[in-house]
Amino acid sequence: MDDLLAEFIAETREMLEASSGEIVAWEADPTDRARIDTIFRFVHTVKGNCGFFDFPRLADLSHSAEDALADCRAGRRDPDPQMVSAVLAIIDRIAVMIDAIEAGEDLTVFGPEGGDELLINALSDTRETLVDDGSRAGKQGSNRHQDEPGIAHPSPADDFATDRAVSGRRADPAAAQRTIRLPVELLDRVMSGVSDMVLARNDLAHRLRQAGNQPTIDGPFERLTTILTDVRDAITRMRMQRIETLFSALPRLVRDLSAELGKQVMVDLDGGDVELDREMIETIRDPLTHIIRNAIDHGIETPAARRATSKRETGLLTIAARQSGNTIAIVISDDGRGLDEERIAAKAIATAMITAAERGHMSRDKILNLIFEPGFSTAEVVSNVSGRGVGLDVVRQNLERVGGSIKVASAPGHGTLFTMQIPLTLSIIAGLTVEAGGQRFAIPQSYVEEIVQGSSRALDLTHMGEAALVTFRGNRVPCLMLAEVLGLAPDAAATRDPTLVMLRLASGDLFALAVEGIHNHGDLVVKPLAPAVMRCGLYAGSTLLDDGQPVLLLDVANIAAAHELVSETRIRVLRPAEDATVQVVQDADRAMLFTDFAGRRSAVRLELVQRIETAPVSAIDRSGPRPRAVIEGMILPLVGLPDEPLSRPRVRLLRLSDGTCELLYAVREVEDAVVIDGALRPVPEDPLAEAVTLIDGAPVTLIDAHELFARFGEPPIAANRPKCTIPADDWARTILGPLVASAGYEIVHNDDADPATIAIIFDEVFEVAEALGRAPTGPSIRLRDHPEAPKGCATIYRYDREGLLAALGTAARSAGTVGERA
Amino acid sequence: MTNHLLVIAQIAGRRCAMSALDVKSVIELGAITPIPRTPDHIAGITALRSQALTVIDCRLALGLTHHNWPTDHRAAVVADSGHSYALMVDAIEDITTAVGEPGQVPGGFGAEWSRVATGMIETMIGPALLIDLPALLAGPDAMRHESEAAL
Repeated sequence: MDDLLAEFIAETREMLEASSGEIVAWEADPTDRARIDTIFRFVHTVKGNCGFFDFPRLADLSHSAEDALADCRAGRRDPDPQMVSAVLAIIDRIAVMIDAIEAGEDLTVFGPEGGDELLINALSDTRETLVDDGSRAGKQGSNRHQDEPGIAHPSPADDFATDRAVSGRRADPAAAQRTIRLPVELLDRVMSGVSDMVLARNDLAHRLRQAGNQPTIDGPFERLTTILTDVRDAITRMRMQRIETLFSALPRLVRDLSAELGKQVMVDLDGGDVELDREMIETIRDPLTHIIRNAIDHGIETPAARRATSKRETGLLTIAARQSGNTIAIVISDDGRGLDEERIAAKAIATAMITAAERGHMSRDKILNLIFEPGFSTAEVVSNVSGRGVGLDVVRQNLERVGGSIKVASAPGHGTLFTMQIPLTLSIIAGLTVEAGGQRFAIPQSYVEEIVQGSSRALDLTHMGEAALVTFRGNRVPCLMLAEVLGLAPDAAATRDPTLVMLRLASGDLFALAVEGIHNHGDLVVKPLAPAVMRCGLYAGSTLLDDGQPVLLLDVANIAAAHELVSETRIRVLRPAEDATVQVVQDADRAMLFTDFAGRRSAVRLELVQRIETAPVSAIDRSGPRPRAVIEGMILPLVGLPDEPLSRPRVRLLRLSDGTCELLYAVREVEDAVVIDGALRPVPEDPLAEAVTLIDGAPVTLIDAHELFARFGEPPIAANRPKCTIPADDWARTILGPLVASAGYEIVHNDDADPATIAIIFDEVFEVAEALGRAPTGPSIRLRDHPEAPKGCATIYRYDREGLLAALGTAARSAGTVGERA
Repeated sequence: MTNHLLVIAQIAGRRCAMSALDVKSVIELGAITPIPRTPDHIAGITALRSQALTVIDCRLALGLTHHNWPTDHRAAVVADSGHSYALMVDAIEDITTAVGEPGQVPGGFGAEWSRVATGMIETMIGPALLIDLPALLAGPDAMRHESEAAL
């Protein structure tokens, strides 16, 4: 019996909730048949059920409402506002009684048994005035335990039959979905069980990886993973509920409040299909109600006041829910009188919340948001609607408890807009684990667009004041250093060569987060954090890694907002500039701006720049007719060096390429990639300059790439470094060898020599070999022991470094051609 | 309050009592992950099975700056508004019963202590300060905000 009773209570509640929206709609249009049908079904079902449970008072109430509605359905009377109010009053009484029944209270708490007469009479009275049927009203009062035999209206049995048929039809589409009712507590237990299961699985996966491949275990483990994923999905959906369930009660709330306060309010609901954790829906129910009460009580004016300000008499209350990333935003806006900055400030000063001096420095926004401070309430008259000691501070507190936030914006005379942000905590999300300052953090995968290694040349990290920018697919993208954001000591090596996680915000903005490393990605069970931790605005939750170590989940949206990466203005500043560039000039007209060693500001077209190299001075060979430098084992021609010796240990080199040839351009300082949008003025007197142009108001010489490559370009003496054999003695190995190797030559053994290999041999050895007819076939360099060269002998003194390198260079070039021919 | 069970712990060298009803368990503190950019008294988070606990250093939560206390490898787990915390203390001493109602001492306990103490309570092993957990968890900044607001 108890089970049945619980079922009855739950069912009645559900119907109450579902029909409250219908009731308001009915009131708006009392002739709407569909609404009347719904409400009739509700009271009818209640009546039927309470007969079974022996709740005579409940039965009487529902019966009388049913009668009135049945008359409407049959067209015997027209529904009017009084009748609607009377029916609503009865429905409310039913709701209160249901609560009492559930609490096990005696229904006599609602006064003597006859206490319902008033309500029932209200219904009958209106009927009396409309329909000349006064006797019925009296009869209802006295014969309440008798069955209503009514001739004129359909018998209850008939009604019941038609009702079933109607509801059966209505339920058709959903008939396949069988539902059961479960206590939320049980759901929570299953949910946390699955969460723990995911953790256990992760732990197991970790151990299996350590143990290496084990085919007999890996197969079943994979299956377990798949099953767990399915279960997890189902569980997640189980917890989710459409926010509609919360919204459906709002029209009724708004109606009752506005009627009570003598205001006219229209409510507009949007985004009911947004899904939210059940628990979260319960959490926001009260805050949302509170704000709506406030809006109607304090925000929207009386019809007369609205007319006076030439607004529509009916106020508009808009409630919209939106999901963006891992938060839900609920926006409640009214078109009322708005918040009064002065009054709020005065009140805040009066309650010693702020001082008059502080007030002078505070922005309107700051003042308005004081209404969320504890002990604040501007209502001069405490009405019974809002201002019952539960202030907006409690609203904020409740939201912050679940990691949410609330803020207010208002335009005087035009309305107020409350924005509630609620996180989707206690869920499982895919995430990426990164490292910064030696500590690990998690980033929701949904934000991650791409991961870019800093060494990749797609990037070009530049610092503009305090801000950093990277180039990503041709766009300048702001870059945040995670270690800096978190105030951690960055790892020096990682700062030079960072890994960038490109994050795409819900607003479409892209930014890069520089981290020290990526660990792995996987499913993270996100747990809420304590309010004190949430308050710092950097974290959205915590999660446990495979090894059980807790890590913090970064609140990407908030971090971006805190660094003004989502601010509208910034986007607007960057965008049009880019667009304009694209429209006016082609992409081709971008150049790398630099200062050369002569102190001249120059630019070279960006397409030519392969990358920016930093080479030690030792890699530069200035001995030959043309300077060269060795970069990654490639010997490249080098231009732009100053005449005097280099003073610094490292040189910045622009590595230019025309596709086949490469050369290095030594620069004093690389500035930035710029757009060439000024007019190009040719400079005939300088063959190496294509033109002079203005960049940011300063003249810049644009390097003539054609001339540059024509003069200096060479195919890189590349992948196969020129080979070289050296004499097999200690002097050659320890003194000659390193010199030759650092000049970019590969030292090979005599057996590995090919025709292109340069042989460095001592003159006397060469002479002997020549005499024996076994002289080296390839290019050779002969070394002599004495500084003074004998006449007519192509030898080089063994300590003549410059001579040796020059000879190697010449030999390498001829060897290169030999090699190609071979 | 008499016969009420209390968990006795040393905090900054003082004997403090917490209602045993508030203390869910006493755990071995494992590795603590620090949380950058949070108030000092939040030592970090630590894992308890699949749950994450916020670790509060009670000494710093009082607003004391002296750093020479010993730290117990065990921590008391408490819950406040749905969140669980692990309290780092000098030492967890005992579980005992109260033998009276909490009372005040003339002159108070001092600014830091008054904020977090409900009063003095006599226990089986001697007098102890009865700690108001929400006030302790709020940390020293809560106090400062209040005093600023009062100015």
